[in-house]
Amino acid sequence: MSELIIKNAAVCDPLNGINCEKMDIAVKDGKIVESVSSNADTIDAKGKLTMAGAIDGHTHCAGKINVGRLMSPHDMRMNPVNGLSGLQPATSVTRAQAGYNTPNTFALGYRYSKLGYTTLSEAAISMMAAKHTHEEFESIPILDKWGLTLFGNNWQVMNYVRDEEPEKLAAYLAWGLKATRGFGIKVVNPGGGEAWGWGKNVTSIDDEVPDFDVTPREILVELAKANEDLNLPHSIHVHCNNLGKPGNYETTLDTMKIMEDIKASRDRQVLHLAHLQFHAYAGNSWREFESASTQLADYINTKDHLTFDMGQVIFGPAMTMTADGPLEYSNARMLHSKWSNKDVELEDGAGVVPIVYSPKSFVNSVQWAIGLELALLVDDPWKVMFTTDSPNGGSFVNYPEAYSLLMSAKKREQIIETLPELAIDRMVLPGIDRELSFYELAVMTRALQSKMFSVDTIGHLGIGANADIAIYDIIPDKIDAGIEHEKVKQALSATSYTIKSGNVVVQDGEIVSSPRGKTYWVNASGRVPSEINEVTLKDIQNNFRKYYTVAMSNYVVDDHYLPNPIEINTQEA
Amino acid sequence: MQKVTLTLREKNRIPIVADSITPDNFAGLSDRDIEQIPVWHGNSQVFLGDIFEVVVDGSDNAENVMIEINGDVSRIKRIGQGMTAGEIIINGNVDMHCGCTMSGGKITVNGHADNWIGCDMRGGEIEVNGNAKYYVGSGYRGDTTGMTGGKITINGNVLDFLAEHMSGGEIHVKGDAGLLLGLANNGGTIIVDGDATMAAGEMKKGLIVIKGTVHEMLPVYREDGTEEFDGETYRKFTGDVNIRGKGTLLVK
Repeated sequence: MSELIIKNAAVCDPLNGINCEKMDIAVKDGKIVESVSSNADTIDAKGKLTMAGAIDGHTHCAGKINVGRLMSPHDMRMNPVNGLSGLQPATSVTRAQAGYNTPNTFALGYRYSKLGYTTLSEAAISMMAAKHTHEEFESIPILDKWGLTLFGNNWQVMNYVRDEEPEKLAAYLAWGLKATRGFGIKVVNPGGGEAWGWGKNVTSIDDEVPDFDVTPREILVELAKANEDLNLPHSIHVHCNNLGKPGNYETTLDTMKIMEDIKASRDRQVLHLAHLQFHAYAGNSWREFESASTQLADYINTKDHLTFDMGQVIFGPAMTMTADGPLEYSNARMLHSKWSNKDVELEDGAGVVPIVYSPKSFVNSVQWAIGLELALLVDDPWKVMFTTDSPNGGSFVNYPEAYSLLMSAKKREQIIETLPELAIDRMVLPGIDRELSFYELAVMTRALQSKMFSVDTIGHLGIGANADIAIYDIIPDKIDAGIEHEKVKQALSATSYTIKSGNVVVQDGEIVSSPRGKTYWVNASGRVPSEINEVTLKDIQNNFRKYYTVAMSNYVVDDHYLPNPIEINTQEA
Repeated sequence: MQKVTLTLREKNRIPIVADSITPDNFAGLSDRDIEQIPVWHGNSQVFLGDIFEVVVDGSDNAENVMIEINGDVSRIKRIGQGMTAGEIIINGNVDMHCGCTMSGGKITVNGHADNWIGCDMRGGEIEVNGNAKYYVGSGYRGDTTGMTGGKITINGNVLDFLAEHMSGGEIHVKGDAGLLLGLANNGGTIIVDGDATMAAGEMKKGLIVIKGTVHEMLPVYREDGTEEFDGETYRKFTGDVNIRGKGTLLVK
């Protein structure tokens, strides 16, 4: 039995309403408890900022990132962020590390831990590649993970939507989540990924998907309803149509509006919009390109059915990777860049293209501003999740840079001064003087995720929570983040302590132990009546016989792919 | 002035990675100190003193350090990697990656050089009094900017893929070059006194001069009259037109 007590911590824990109050935290057997014996190990936090381990609710950490690695051997040597990128030799505790945007799996685990992160949500598991994704999960040390399974362009999903068979649809989703050991439903460019198989795309939520006689609107609504029928812990997680195109904010608004009447089965949103920055563009062409964050924020401020994440852009090299195949084709053509294209039979597509966001480019500068605008214009931090859509907008190792931008109007001003004049005309950021507090930052990086994904053991420091704790070298009431933004960035770049399930994994910015993480998955099959399950299974078997190149027995993820599973059963909830 | 003489004790078969042999690392050190610098010999760590006899004369800062290496170091890699100043003279053949990423100083090889000499070079000078193999002055895998500055002179021949992704600096080959030299040149100057095959594909900008014969000229250039270079008249080609390049290729 291991015991630990953290004394004199300045605890910032929004889920329990605690705002930087001095208190002690007791830990026993990996959980936070009321008190411990006098034999417990002691950490004196000396008044430092202490939060729950952070949760990255939308990151690309396994699966497609491997294609990025294959495409960019030069990324292995890139070292723009001191201590969190580049080649780092093995130590007695750590394996060798390499890379920046597409670091090796070990570097991912260590570097996230140094930033105080303890849980990752992989944004897209391709069903066919689920085994690979779980193998990569297994080799990411320290962190807990889960992944969202792609359903938005799946043949069987679209067939059931067209044939108006919601029960079978739900049964298929439950089967798919189990077959991939996935956590929730991800929808990427619904219908567009299938159209890309014919060299086409969809341009609004009412375009028809070739050969399927369904529209993105129908796919989205039916998936959202099925999501609630299955009582899944997370809502549908949507990457809208028309990502990255001028004028796409109208499609984004349409997508939000059609979800207004969906009833949530749990105390959470019914729609999560991923990387909203990439979907908040006005203007009819690249020449007219401008920010539409005001239009979106005005809508979001009046509604309570949705959450979103920022998809903040970081200036410098990044690596775009998405299941949105047609988008990556246009990226590669526009940027004269290398391009990887994938077709996942019957299910989805994908693409990977490297990119450099330049502060000299007016479009990139406006993109940079939009992410911040969205986070600052939406009043309620409980609707805004912090992300860079790592590594699409920039690698996660730049999170502290983005935190300090959110916390300091002065820092934003200094950067805006250096941007092209045309860009400044097309953004609203210069007029925003809001600065986030540590409390609001804790909401966007921890507390909101706990609610959004309905996992009540993480993202807070209440009794019974997992002892995932981050202590930063910062005394919250002795620092003005608006002025001392550089100091804030430094402190948030390397924790004094990161504690994972009660084990100290980072001390003074160095990895001191490297335990294995756990993998969450959601079992919703208990919500499906057995007779529906039977007929749906027949359809699935038929698909395998007729279309798939693999047999069903080789397709599903077996238990041994998850050495440390946590099964969330939606029947019991 | 500080002169460091390294004499190879015995030729190694298993490769040694000696990126620690630079004037920057040796500046101000005694022979004892240099003998204790660790290097990798295969998968085990040894010390420079195990491999070389080290003699040091004087003590100075990096600009005034001259390292002389005697013996066949054709299985010792990365000599002079990342050096910023000073001089290295290698009396013998040298292994791969010699002088890569260097930004200043001079390396002279009195022998043959292996692959990747001077790749990702930023500045300084390399002279090889012999032949060099593949990828002289190129960029490493995946990079779109290779050598950006400095000068490489090869007094013999080179093999294929000379100066891939070069975007600055100058390379002069006094003998022949192999296949596909100057691929994706983006601002460098390449002069080959001898022959070359399929030169200058995907050039965006820069200058490539082939004084000998170009075998299998790539059909991606527009002929643009003639141009004088070093007192001789050459046919001038502009391209690569496939990527709307503005590079200049001069051939006889």
